[in-house]
Amino acid sequence: MVNLEDLKKEAKRILEEGKIKYIIGYERSPNGMMSMPAFIKNPEDAERLTWDPSCVYNLTRFLVDEKRRKAKEKKPDTRPVAIVVKGCDSRAVVVLLQEKFINREDVYILGVSCEGAGVVDEKKLTEKLKGKKADKIEFSEKDHFLITSDGEKIKIPAQEILAERCLECRANFPVIYDEVLGEKVERRPEDPFKSIERIESLSKEERWAFWKEQLDKCIRCYACRSVCPMCYCDECVVDTISFAVAADTTAEEKAQKIKWIERSPDSSENFVYHLVRAIHLAGRCIDCGECERACPLDIPVRLLNKKLEKEAKELFDYEVGFDPEKPSLASSFKDDDPEDFIR
Amino acid sequence: MKRTGVFVCHCGINIAGTVDVKKVAKELSRHPGVAHAEEYVYMCSDPGQNLITEAIKEKKLDNVVVACCSPTLHETTFRNTSKEAGLNEFQCEIANIREQCSWVHKDMEKATRKAIKITKSAVERVRRNESLEPISIPVTRRALVIGGGIAGIQSALDLANSGYEVVLVERSPSIGGHMIQLSETFPTLDCSQCILTPKMVEVSKHPKIKLLTYSEVQEISGYVGNFKVKILKKPTYVDPDKCTLCDECTKVCPVVVSNEFDIGLTGRRAIYIPFPQAIPATYTLDIKSCPGLLPIACGKCADVCEPEAIDYDMKPDIIEEDIGAIIVATGYDLYDKGLMAEYGYGKYLDVLDGLQFERLCSASGPTQGKIIRPSDHKEPKEVVFIQCVGSRDPELHCAYCSKICCMYTAKHAMLYKHHVPDGQAYIFYIDIRSGGKGYEEFVQRAVEEDGVLYLRGKVSKIFEDKGKIKVWGVDTLTGKDIEIDADMVVLATAMRPSQGAGELAKKLKIAMDKDGFLSEAHPKLRPVESVTPGMFLAGAAQAPKDIPEAVAQASGAAAKAVAILSQERLFHAPTVAQVNLNLCTGCGMCVEVCPYVSLSLKDGKVEVNEVLCEGCGTCSATCLRAAIQVKNLTPLQVHEMIDASLGGR
Repeated sequence: MVNLEDLKKEAKRILEEGKIKYIIGYERSPNGMMSMPAFIKNPEDAERLTWDPSCVYNLTRFLVDEKRRKAKEKKPDTRPVAIVVKGCDSRAVVVLLQEKFINREDVYILGVSCEGAGVVDEKKLTEKLKGKKADKIEFSEKDHFLITSDGEKIKIPAQEILAERCLECRANFPVIYDEVLGEKVERRPEDPFKSIERIESLSKEERWAFWKEQLDKCIRCYACRSVCPMCYCDECVVDTISFAVAADTTAEEKAQKIKWIERSPDSSENFVYHLVRAIHLAGRCIDCGECERACPLDIPVRLLNKKLEKEAKELFDYEVGFDPEKPSLASSFKDDDPEDFIR
Repeated sequence: MKRTGVFVCHCGINIAGTVDVKKVAKELSRHPGVAHAEEYVYMCSDPGQNLITEAIKEKKLDNVVVACCSPTLHETTFRNTSKEAGLNEFQCEIANIREQCSWVHKDMEKATRKAIKITKSAVERVRRNESLEPISIPVTRRALVIGGGIAGIQSALDLANSGYEVVLVERSPSIGGHMIQLSETFPTLDCSQCILTPKMVEVSKHPKIKLLTYSEVQEISGYVGNFKVKILKKPTYVDPDKCTLCDECTKVCPVVVSNEFDIGLTGRRAIYIPFPQAIPATYTLDIKSCPGLLPIACGKCADVCEPEAIDYDMKPDIIEEDIGAIIVATGYDLYDKGLMAEYGYGKYLDVLDGLQFERLCSASGPTQGKIIRPSDHKEPKEVVFIQCVGSRDPELHCAYCSKICCMYTAKHAMLYKHHVPDGQAYIFYIDIRSGGKGYEEFVQRAVEEDGVLYLRGKVSKIFEDKGKIKVWGVDTLTGKDIEIDADMVVLATAMRPSQGAGELAKKLKIAMDKDGFLSEAHPKLRPVESVTPGMFLAGAAQAPKDIPEAVAQASGAAAKAVAILSQERLFHAPTVAQVNLNLCTGCGMCVEVCPYVSLSLKDGKVEVNEVLCEGCGTCSATCLRAAIQVKNLTPLQVHEMIDASLGGR
């Protein structure tokens, strides 16, 4: 079990040593049940750090922001940034390393074990507590969460309130780290692609109807894009009005910008957006589920990514985010590829 | 707006039979920006090209679209025409309305509609084409020939005699390849060694040829005209300049191993000369079979070597060469008879493969040309020859025909009869393929003059029985089962690409076919070129071949190489990848996928080596950020083309 005091001690130590710029971690939110991101710069603030099943966020998105900020600084602080990562989040770090978006020496990885469980789904928990507030959410033994609500302690089986993606998780322990807290607890999901089973069983027409209904809801707020650590392109194909225009962008280049997609949220444009998003995440998405969590309209966008994850596994035996030295899916080539047109 | 000219070709009725070419021209003439549109029966003909030239000048066209056959055929023609008329050659694009339209459709109305869309999209594309100039690159006027068999020897000699320096690399201790192992060659029965050794000597004496035997190509970088090749020269531990060929060393060497030159029929010492006429004429110490040099375990050969030619301290050497063109002539190996269950997995001493039988027949072979059984050294009176062993067997072995077996089996049977006139030769065959000058006559001679018995059918089983080899087969012409108590069986095993050719092909980035033979750029029109510019193929490395074919291809490859080496400068297509540095995040995915190794990361961004880039567009397809694109096929152009073909314009 992760000892929270160890985490705080380690955080304090690295900050006191002065080799770390700041720590991206979790702290208790003053309101609401879930933890929120914390940015700790002073050693004495390390006390604020927390780690419990309410730490749902994938903080690696902030590494993307950090890189952008650093690029703009005149005299950048070149010390690494420390980040608290769960198993899944660590895989996002691997992908960012694989894609050379960040350098290994720019990040200090503090891994934490999910204790063989995972993090909670806020909606499921709210439902379970029937409107009551949880003051504290803790790991308890292997398969349970211990919830403190109105001074009362309730033990809930993890399966009942775990986030969907945690039920299908194949890496509940960090795959890359500088320091890791807690032990690896084995728990293999029976079927890592269970969530897409139902949709896969539908006919083409039914699937179309399902996605049309879901995607018609989309208001194109792009929250799913903003929260995704892999959506870090400076220029996104869907931004027809805010093309990245650099100092040396010529008039001709500006004129040649293609409008692949209209801003207006209607079926056809929404489909284009979500399919582009899914395709661009094929072989890159580590299934942190943040896109779906962030969606204000409850569109199950994670399912699209999950399907592509399955394709990658079945067609190319590729699993995302385990080895920063391996080429990414889209850039890997095998001489013994069964498709001979490729050789 | 730019003024575009559209020229629609009838290609006789190839296009006009299915596509209403008049309608295409008329429709295109209404397309915005098209200043001129016409059709003609053969655009590629002289009058057709003149139409283009005149229109460019008279109508002051900025660019041209020719709607005709595939760009692989006449793109160069029409680009040159446009250039002559004063346009940049890259202001001409082809709309393929033949292979991609008229030839694959029957419904004229629909085909015409499609042809119009294809042509319109080409108009949209050409409008945004940049005027480009070919990239000029220098040429290193030296060639590398890989493989010292007959094909490699012929290529090297042709190149050297054309005045170019040649580096000839052979991995075994001597050049000569398989041909030097053969006895007599079909259809003239002239002695193989007698016709080959003069060429080998010429190689060794030629001032333009640098011969590197016992050497292997380790690494290749660069591009056509400018390859850099690293060659590993393995130590022979014998100084050929000092060696007097006295043969004292082999007399004292205590090690005997199977002799690969006689395919195991004899043994050789750890220090050996492959055969008396070996080039270079010197001994080689085979370190794998030597008792050891670190520390020296035996040292007898050095003790007896009077001229002190043996140097145990010899080290492997890496030789770097600058090369302009490469000829790959890595030859073949025989299919392993250990894979043939029905023929006893190669375990019976008197079941030989074709090359072993060649050694038995050879005047310089282990028996001085006497045909005797390896098991008891008796003269075989009944010999069964089996064709298509491993060939033409798609289920279990090789699907292809090894091509030379019909002829050499006839020769084997004939040679056997010449040596053992009272013996009987049987040949099991599926078909007799004797296409070639004098080949059919040769087979007939075997049947009529030498009484060789041809049996059409396959052998189901071979096994040893009381000192004989029982052959069970069937004659499919009479439908009878056949049982022969043979004294010897000779298997015409299939030809395979030589061992290690696959790894070499990967280093060279030459494609291989499904059987592992090297792929030519076009099966009919570019049979000696590989798909990689500046690399050519010769001999059995490309497909099973007999000697005359291998020699002809070798000379062809040499001529192709000369076409490069004789140039002052080479020109490379400028339609290469370019990077938008603002969008590049330096993820390096394109670097990983580039099949031509033309991309690299520099200061966190991708850099294109324009000479290596072939403009294939793999990088562009891989890039998530559209940060890399191929000139004249940019995402914007593709977008406009899609738009036009969807009827947007």
